Amino acid sequence: MLPFPKFSYEAPGTLDELFTLASVSGSRIVAGGTDLLPSLKHRLFQDTLLISLRRLRELRGVTIEGGALVIGANTTLRDVARDDRVAAGWPALRDACRTIATSTIQAMGTLGGNVMLDTRCLYYNQPDGWRASIGGCLKADGSVCHVAPNGAGCYAAHSADTVPALWLYGAILRFGSERGIREVALADLYGTDGRTWLGNARDEVLLAIVVPKAPAGSVVHRKLRARGAIDYGMLLTAVHRRPDGSGAAVVSALGPRPVFVEAERVEDLAAAAHKAATPMRTHAYGVGWRKHMVRVEVERALAGS
Amino acid sequence: MTDDRDFHVRAVAEGGVLGGGGRGKVDGLAKITGRSVFVDDLVLPRMVYAKVLRSPHAHAKILSIDASEALAMPGVLKVMTGEDCTARYGAIPVAQDETALALGKVRYIGEPVVCVAAVDEETARDACRRVRVVYEPLDAILSIDDALSADKPFIHEWARKPSNILRKVDQEYGDVDAAFAASDLVLEGTYDYPGSTHVPLETHAALAVPHADGRLTLWSSTQNPHYMHRTIARVLGMRPGDVRVIKPDIGAGYGGKCDTFCTDVCSAWLARALDRPVKFVFEREEVFYAHRGRHRTKMWLKMGMTKEGRVTGIDFKAWAEGGAYASYGVVTSFYLGVFMTMPYKVENYRFQSHRVYTNHPPCGPKRGHGAIQPRFALELHLDRMCEALGLDPVQVRLDNLIEAGHETVNGLLVPSIALSECIERVVQASDYRAKKGSLPPGRGIGLACSAYMCGALHAVYDNDLPHSGVQLKCDRSGRVTIFSGTADCGQGSNHMLAVFVAERLGIDPTDCTVVEADTDLTPVDLGSYSSRVTFMAGNAALQAADRLRSQIASALAAKFKVPVESLVFAGREVRGAWRPIPWLEAVDIAEGHHGTLGSVGSYKPPKIGSRLKRTSVGPSPAYSFTAQVAEVTVDQVSGVVTVDKMWAAHDLGRVLHREIAEGQIEGCVYMGVGEALLEEQAYRKDGVHMTPSILEYRIPTVYDTPEIQVLLVESHDPGGPFGAKEAGEGPQLSTVPAIGNALHDAIGRWLTNPPYTPEKVWKAIKGR
Repeated sequence: MLPFPKFSYEAPGTLDELFTLASVSGSRIVAGGTDLLPSLKHRLFQDTLLISLRRLRELRGVTIEGGALVIGANTTLRDVARDDRVAAGWPALRDACRTIATSTIQAMGTLGGNVMLDTRCLYYNQPDGWRASIGGCLKADGSVCHVAPNGAGCYAAHSADTVPALWLYGAILRFGSERGIREVALADLYGTDGRTWLGNARDEVLLAIVVPKAPAGSVVHRKLRARGAIDYGMLLTAVHRRPDGSGAAVVSALGPRPVFVEAERVEDLAAAAHKAATPMRTHAYGVGWRKHMVRVEVERALAGS
Repeated sequence: MTDDRDFHVRAVAEGGVLGGGGRGKVDGLAKITGRSVFVDDLVLPRMVYAKVLRSPHAHAKILSIDASEALAMPGVLKVMTGEDCTARYGAIPVAQDETALALGKVRYIGEPVVCVAAVDEETARDACRRVRVVYEPLDAILSIDDALSADKPFIHEWARKPSNILRKVDQEYGDVDAAFAASDLVLEGTYDYPGSTHVPLETHAALAVPHADGRLTLWSSTQNPHYMHRTIARVLGMRPGDVRVIKPDIGAGYGGKCDTFCTDVCSAWLARALDRPVKFVFEREEVFYAHRGRHRTKMWLKMGMTKEGRVTGIDFKAWAEGGAYASYGVVTSFYLGVFMTMPYKVENYRFQSHRVYTNHPPCGPKRGHGAIQPRFALELHLDRMCEALGLDPVQVRLDNLIEAGHETVNGLLVPSIALSECIERVVQASDYRAKKGSLPPGRGIGLACSAYMCGALHAVYDNDLPHSGVQLKCDRSGRVTIFSGTADCGQGSNHMLAVFVAERLGIDPTDCTVVEADTDLTPVDLGSYSSRVTFMAGNAALQAADRLRSQIASALAAKFKVPVESLVFAGREVRGAWRPIPWLEAVDIAEGHHGTLGSVGSYKPPKIGSRLKRTSVGPSPAYSFTAQVAEVTVDQVSGVVTVDKMWAAHDLGRVLHREIAEGQIEGCVYMGVGEALLEEQAYRKDGVHMTPSILEYRIPTVYDTPEIQVLLVESHDPGGPFGAKEAGEGPQLSTVPAIGNALHDAIGRWLTNPPYTPEKVWKAIKGR
C-alpha cells in the first residue's frame, strides 16, 4: 500500500475557526478528499495541515435563493446530481456530476472540491520516486516542464468536470476568509499557469457555488474519456445554444484555464472552439487527435442541445 | 487415465458432481464475505516492514551507496544492498541473471537497489529516500533495434558470452521455399503487438518468518511455490528442507507471479538477519516495474496459399523485446513459434525468433504466454489472404483444420480437437456469414481461431519426477482432505481438485478440504503456469481418489459380501449392497478394516510426439482450441471502437464446472479486449514507464466490456482427467485478432498494431 506522509489534521466546528486555520501557511482544505488524498500519497505536497469541512453543516446542501441555486461547497457530487431542482433547472450540471470517476467517488467527492480541483498532468500526477527519475517538473520539485520544455510556464490541464457547465450557467463563487465574504465569477477564477491556476487568495475558503437562474436556451455537457468510468476527461465540453441563434462553448482539459468561445452563429461555434484550442502533451492521447475532437465534441454537444 | 469408466458413468447418471450437482465453489463463500486471508492480512508479533529504493536510471553503474543517514533514523533496523545477497537466480536454469537487488549496476528505471527494514512501512519508505546512491549513467538499450545493434553496451556484461540477445531460435520443417513456389498467392506482412501487463488486484507480497531452529517460513503471493522453494533455498544457502513456502489466498496472478521477486528474497534475507518476521508488500506502482508481462513483439509473416485456400507454408520471424532480465524469456522465444501452425495443417514451416534484452522492466509470462502475438499476426494474415483470393474466412479455416491424432510438422501431437464444432457454433450464434461484408459502414464482424497447451511436457528444470502429486486423508468424520502443491490464484483450481475427488467418491466438493501450496504439508506440484493444473494435478487427484475408493470398496465388499465391481459411489452413499451404505458409515467400516485411511496419486506427462527437436519447448499432453467472433462499431468521426459483442466457443475437453469454465473464458475475452483497445506498457524514450498506476494504465471497466456469449465444446481428451483440458488461457488468443478482423470489416483497413486507440483508428480512417 502507498502510505501517507505525515500530516496534521483539524476539523473546525465554526466558520471563524475555519478561517483562522485557513490562514496558516501550508494548510489545505479537504472536502471529499478523493483527489487531494491520492496526491498527498504521491508526496505532491509535504508537511500539510489538512482542514476538514466535515463538521460544518452549513457548507453542505442545496438551497434556492431568489431563483438561484446555492450549493454548499461541501455538498457531494451525488447529492447535487440527485437533486430534482438541479435536474430541472441546470441539467448540464447534473450530467457533469454523473460523469465524474465512479459512483463511489461521486458519493465522497464534492462540488467545491471539483471547482477547486488541482490541475493535472502525466508528468505531475505520479508517485515521488517516478518524479525523481525525471528530475521533477515545474509544478513539483523540478525546473523543467516536460510538456513544453521551451514554454513559458506550467501547462497542467484543468480537469474539473463541472466547470465548463458552471461557467456557461454564469456561476458565482462565494469565498470566505478572516477578512469577510467575497464573491467571484467562476469565469474569472482561473489563470493561465498550471501552478497558480486559482485566482483566490490563499486563505480564502470556497463556501458556496451560486448558480443563477439558467439562461435562456440550452446548455449541454460532454466528457471525452478513454473508458466508460474512472477516467479524468481528455476533453470536457459544454455548449450553450442561445435563442438568438448565437452560441458559446467552454472546452477544458486542454491547459490550466478552460477555453471560452462565442459565435454569433451557433453553426460557427465548433470551428471557433477548434481554432482556440491548443491541447498540450499532458495526456496519454496525442494532441492532433484531441484538437480534432474539440470540433467533434462541440458539434455533438450542439446536436444534443 | 479414465479407468473404471463404468463407475464414473453410472455415478454421473445418479447425480454426481459432473451430472450437475455440487455447484458451490469450495472457497467461494470465503472470497465473497471477505474471509480469505491474503499475505497482507497476516500480522505476527515483532513483525517489521521492508521497502525498497528504486533506480531512477535506465542503465547505470552503481558507484557508491551511503545508507548512514537512513540507518541513523529511529525505527530503522537494517539496510540491505545487492552485495548482501549475490546469488543469481531466475525462472529458467539456463538464464539465471537476477539478483534480489541491483548488483554493481542498474538495468531499468524502477529496479530495486536498496531495501530497508523498519518498524513500520512509513519509516522504511522515508529511510529509503535518505539512502544516497551515486550512479554513473550508461548508454541505454531502449528498443529492439538498440538491442540488435553492435554499437551498444551489453546489459549483462558479466555473462560468459555477453549479448543483448537472450535467445535466438531457428527452426525449419519441410521445404518452405518450394511450398511458396507452388502457391497461388504468397503474402508478406508485418505486425507489431504491444507490451502489456497483468494488473492483479493484489500486489506482490511476502512475509518471511525465522524460526528458533533456524528454519524459515515464507508466505508469498506466488503462482509457483515449488520453484520459489528451490530458489529461496539456493539463494539463501539453506537446505531445501529448512525452507517452507506457503501461498495463502492470492489476488490473482495471470502469469505475473510466476517468478521470485525482491519481496520474497529481501523479506527472507532480512528476516534471518534480524531474527524477526519481515513483511514486504508492493505499492501499485512497483507492480508495473516487477512486470513480467507481455513482450512487445515485432513480427514478419509470409504465407503461401493455393487459390482453393490451402495453406502451403509459413515463414515467420519475431523479435520480442524482453526488458532487462530473462525471466521466462527463453521459453517465450520458443512459444512465439511453436504453436504457430496449430490448428491448421501446415507441412512447411520456418521460424526464427529473437528475444532481446532492453533497459525496460523485465517481461515474462502473461496469459497466453508468447502465443498471443503470433496468433494475432497469423489470424489477421489469413483473413488478408482470404480477401485477396476472394475466399470465405470460415471455410478456409475449416478446410485447413487438423484432426485428432495429427502430429504437427514441428512435432506436437494432438490427441483431441473439436475446433470445427467451435467454429460452426460461433459462426451460427453470431450470424457471421450474413453479417460479414454486409453490415452498415462503421460496423464489422471478425473471426479468429487459436490453439493452446495444457501444461508443458517438461518442467523448467530437467528431472524425471512427477509434475503433480496429491495426497488424500479421510477419516470417520467423513471429511476428505486433499493435500496438493498446486497454487490456486483465483482461477478455481482448488475447486477442480475437489470436483475430481468428490466425483470419484460420490460425495460433494464441499465435503472436501483442500490444503494447498504449502511445501511442508503438500506434495510437489510445479505450480500454476502453462495451463497445467486441471490437466496434471487433476490426473493426480483422480489417481489418489481411485486408490482411496478402492480401499473403501474392498472393505465394504468384504463386509457385505458383494463384488467390488457392483459398488457405486454417489449421492453421499455407496450403492450396490443389499442396502445403500451412507458415506459416513462406509468410511467407518473402511477405517476399521484397513486402519487409518489415506492415498496418494501423481502425474507425469507421457513422452509423446516424435519429430520434435530436442531443444524445443512447447509440447504438451493435450491442446485446447478456441474460435471467436467479434462484432464492433467504429465511430468514424472520432475513431472510437466499441466491441459490441463477443462469441467465444472453446474446446475444453470436458466441462467440469460450467460457471467456473465460463468465468475463465469470459476473463480471457475481457483481457483480450483490454489488449485490443486500451492497454499498453508504454515508455518514454528515456525508459520511464509513462503510466505506472491503474488510473492511467487502463484496463477495461464494466462499461468497456462487451457482452460475451460463451459456448462450451467438449472433445473428451483421452489423456485429460475425465477428458478435460484447459480453459483459462487459450481463449485469450483469439480475441484480439477477431477484433482486428472485425475492424477491417468495419473500416476497410488492416490495423496491425494494437491497441486500437481512437487516435490510431482515426488516423487509419483519415488515411483511407
